[in-house]
Amino acid sequence: MSTPLLDRPSALPQECVQPLVDLVVALADNKHLLGLRYGEWCSSGPTLEAGVAATAMAQDELGHARVLYGLLEELPGAPRRSEHEWLASDARTVAFLQETFPTWPHLIVANVLLDQALALVLESAVDSRYLPLRQRARKVIEEERYHRIHGHGWFLQLAAEGLGMRRQLSEIMGGLWTDVLCWFGPGDGGALRPLVAAGVLAEAGDAVRGRFLDAVGPLLQEAGVEAPVRYDGLRWTVVNPLPWEAWDELRRRVTR
Amino acid sequence: MRRIGEEPVYEVFARRSEGEPLRHVGWVAAPADSLARIYARSIYDEESWIEMYVVPRAAFIPVEAPGPSAEARR
Repeated sequence: MSTPLLDRPSALPQECVQPLVDLVVALADNKHLLGLRYGEWCSSGPTLEAGVAATAMAQDELGHARVLYGLLEELPGAPRRSEHEWLASDARTVAFLQETFPTWPHLIVANVLLDQALALVLESAVDSRYLPLRQRARKVIEEERYHRIHGHGWFLQLAAEGLGMRRQLSEIMGGLWTDVLCWFGPGDGGALRPLVAAGVLAEAGDAVRGRFLDAVGPLLQEAGVEAPVRYDGLRWTVVNPLPWEAWDELRRRVTR
Repeated sequence: MRRIGEEPVYEVFARRSEGEPLRHVGWVAAPADSLARIYARSIYDEESWIEMYVVPRAAFIPVEAPGPSAEARR
């Protein structure tokens, strides 16, 4: 017998409401600001085509944020959010997005790491028992497929330019690496655990982090870009322990 | 980073509906097949295509074309 769907907020188990609100706010805020940052490169990409692609990704991300903010309107206790009433000071975003991307490689690193990390979190909701989240996640994931191709394609192109660029990519990644890896939550998910228990998310924490590393590790290896990650013969794992003592679970960012 | 005019050109073909012929809709310059797909999708999005393809211009086999004869170029 299949588990019944939760088709409205009042059907959610009480212990799921606040973790879901916090997760959706952080997902949408990051997507909104990522969209704005992509959009800043719409007329200054390395080629006309690259600028148009950045614009398309900006539109996608801003659209995803709008769709996720819509989810908040139905949830009790959710902070007021919309793309028209967006305050950077109040936003729950990773630090990497707080400044304009100074170079095109910064945009590509955000595309490869952050964009794909957020997509993996939403992927864990494509079969969610909470119907409003499931419907939105499915729409977003379809578009994210193209963001992944864009990020991987550009990352490999940049890395092929030489050792100097590979070192630059490695250095830029250092500014985002721990935030992205912590984003999935500690161990079995931390605050996201009730969502997994209720079937709102399929998985969180180490399970999603492992899928992220299995996707990014081979790309870094192929590109020859150094990062604190290694392959143990079965899976890709991080070399250094993650800084959970500095992890702000509400804002989903590492405090420095 | 390569700039405008330095990248390989891909011709873009698309079809709007079943039974309609595939038609040439434009071109993009891209450093790799994967990025050519992304660029074509984001630039030629004015219609709801049911199919779209990119083909490296270098893969075209001339039959009739301006300049040296098609046979001479093979």
